[in-house]
Amino acid sequence: MLSVRDLRVSFCTEQGMVQAIDGVSFDVAEGEILGVVGESGSGKTVSLLAVMGLITDPNAVIEGSIKYQGRELVGLSAKDMRKLRGREIAMIFQDPMTALTPVYTIGWQIAEQIRAHEKISAKAAEQRAIDLLQEVNIPNPAEAIHLYPHQLSGGMRQRAVIAMALSCNPSLLVADEPTTALDVTVQAQILDLVRKLQKNYKSAVVFITHDMGVIAEIADRVMVMYAGRIAERGSKRELFSEPQHPYTQALLDSIPPLEGKRPHRLKSIPGAPPALLHRSTGCAFAPRCAKRFDACVNMPILTANGHDAACFKVNPI
Amino acid sequence: MSKKILYEAKNVSKRFTVGSRFSAKGRLTVNAVDNVSITIHEGETLGLVGESGCGKSTLGRCMTRLYEISEGHLVFDGTDISRLSMRALRPLRAKLQMVFQDPSASLNPRRRIRDLIAEPLRIHSKLNEAQITKRVAELLELVGLLPDHATRFQHEFSGGQRQRIGIARAIALNPKLIVLDEPVSALDVSVQAQIVNLLADLQEKLGLTYAFIAHDLSVVRQVSTRIAVMYLGSIVELGNAEDIFSNPAHPYTQALISAVPVPDINKAGSRKRIVLSGDVPSPINPPSGCHFHPRCPVAQERCKIERPSLLTHSNNRTVACHFPIDVRRD
Repeated sequence: MLSVRDLRVSFCTEQGMVQAIDGVSFDVAEGEILGVVGESGSGKTVSLLAVMGLITDPNAVIEGSIKYQGRELVGLSAKDMRKLRGREIAMIFQDPMTALTPVYTIGWQIAEQIRAHEKISAKAAEQRAIDLLQEVNIPNPAEAIHLYPHQLSGGMRQRAVIAMALSCNPSLLVADEPTTALDVTVQAQILDLVRKLQKNYKSAVVFITHDMGVIAEIADRVMVMYAGRIAERGSKRELFSEPQHPYTQALLDSIPPLEGKRPHRLKSIPGAPPALLHRSTGCAFAPRCAKRFDACVNMPILTANGHDAACFKVNPI
Repeated sequence: MSKKILYEAKNVSKRFTVGSRFSAKGRLTVNAVDNVSITIHEGETLGLVGESGCGKSTLGRCMTRLYEISEGHLVFDGTDISRLSMRALRPLRAKLQMVFQDPSASLNPRRRIRDLIAEPLRIHSKLNEAQITKRVAELLELVGLLPDHATRFQHEFSGGQRQRIGIARAIALNPKLIVLDEPVSALDVSVQAQIVNLLADLQEKLGLTYAFIAHDLSVVRQVSTRIAVMYLGSIVELGNAEDIFSNPAHPYTQALISAVPVPDINKAGSRKRIVLSGDVPSPINPPSGCHFHPRCPVAQERCKIERPSLLTHSNNRTVACHFPIDVRRD
């Protein structure tokens, strides 16, 4: 349904060109949940913002191809993109407070979104807003539509944003760290909700997070990103039971266990993610990798057989 | 326990007033910390966990007297510090340090790292310049930074390195107790493990005692000797770290642990998840009886009326619940 090929996003800065996304390709099939995981600066958000046509920075250069149901999105006019965005492809952001305007009620905001895409009376739109709020488990939806965002808790706001994203029954939903700002007990509620809605609406979901635990709960397929490239991708089962890329393995190892014996020391990854301004020509993870060897001065290529990794250990030259 | 008690908070409460007499609801009182008592033994790490708004950070700030407490007593190393004047408190501050969540907000962007680390030494110690330079180099090495980092500014560092600088400042004066307020929450997972290890190393090397405040349960389990779980300003459960996780006694603790997503697909299916309904209530107007009863899966009539007090059960477990799970009363 969504097919991204060799996507490159770079930003011109005073210090030079920053290649935020460096040749990323992936597909999203109908009705699946693709988990995108990576550390800050790994390009997980930027790559999906590019899909949504939301990179408005005049210094950004977007190359490659993004096809949505066969239609090319790169270079699409802002007007055509607006018709698609919200209706076919919807997005949920990390901080619901920035996605909602503080000066209108949430009911008004949901109705506005519906009326922007469909010819429907104000009354009918309001009724739809109530139904949607009901669907995302907001108590007393008929009264809740009259509330302003500041009157809601963080979890409730995120539910309102999800209701808004679902208002036009999108076939693709991009969720960018939707639970990161929430407490664990509320996060569990929201994850349940996303799963339930994904079943009911049969939307495809791209779920961006830095939390491997959340990925394990929600995703069907997983894509691990590092420094603007895909380090590994595969089905959830493959990726968690047999991680191929040393980065994926190290990431899983560095999470303290919730049960069993506590390790004396955590296995940590030395160093920090690289600055994208001065990219090396070799594997970006090599300086931090425990398994690096001579070949790692070259750039590894992502294999293409379902469970893929960009590592010379997996795919020798 | 045989170990010496280093820090004791007795019946500490902290109230904030919100609004003014001109606002719609008038002046309201928030019981951010509500009658909390904890003891910290020498050499241990006490973990404080809870969701946002449970008062864990407020308690941490009260402990170091960054906030004035409303009621109760704070005893540090045998001295009651709860009513001491700022002047009298000063020498004790050297022994009672704090590390904050956001390292870039706690470091002055216009000063060099060596000056930031030397600042506590200049204020509290009588070292001369040469000795200070030597000590700063020592501290940088201790926290895993390079000597030539000393002349740089904080913006030249990554988040993990900045937190190392914050830790170097805190340990500069050989403190006894460090209150760590979400020290790894702002960091990436791969870097988080480095800092957790660093803190463990320093504790061993320097004989430090920690109060570790965090919302990430797996991190708290990793670092803590004992854990206190807070809900709406009060402690609901306190006990040995590993025990609490394998055998939670309070329904809230149980739900909290079960809600943590585990990055293990084999266990993800078999773990029983308890999804609590609703949100954390407002501490301005807490529910009657047990504060947790509206969200509690096992709440009964009694919980709505009578507030459970903290009782110590077998195995040194303290729980505030009328119907604790699976622990024997002594």
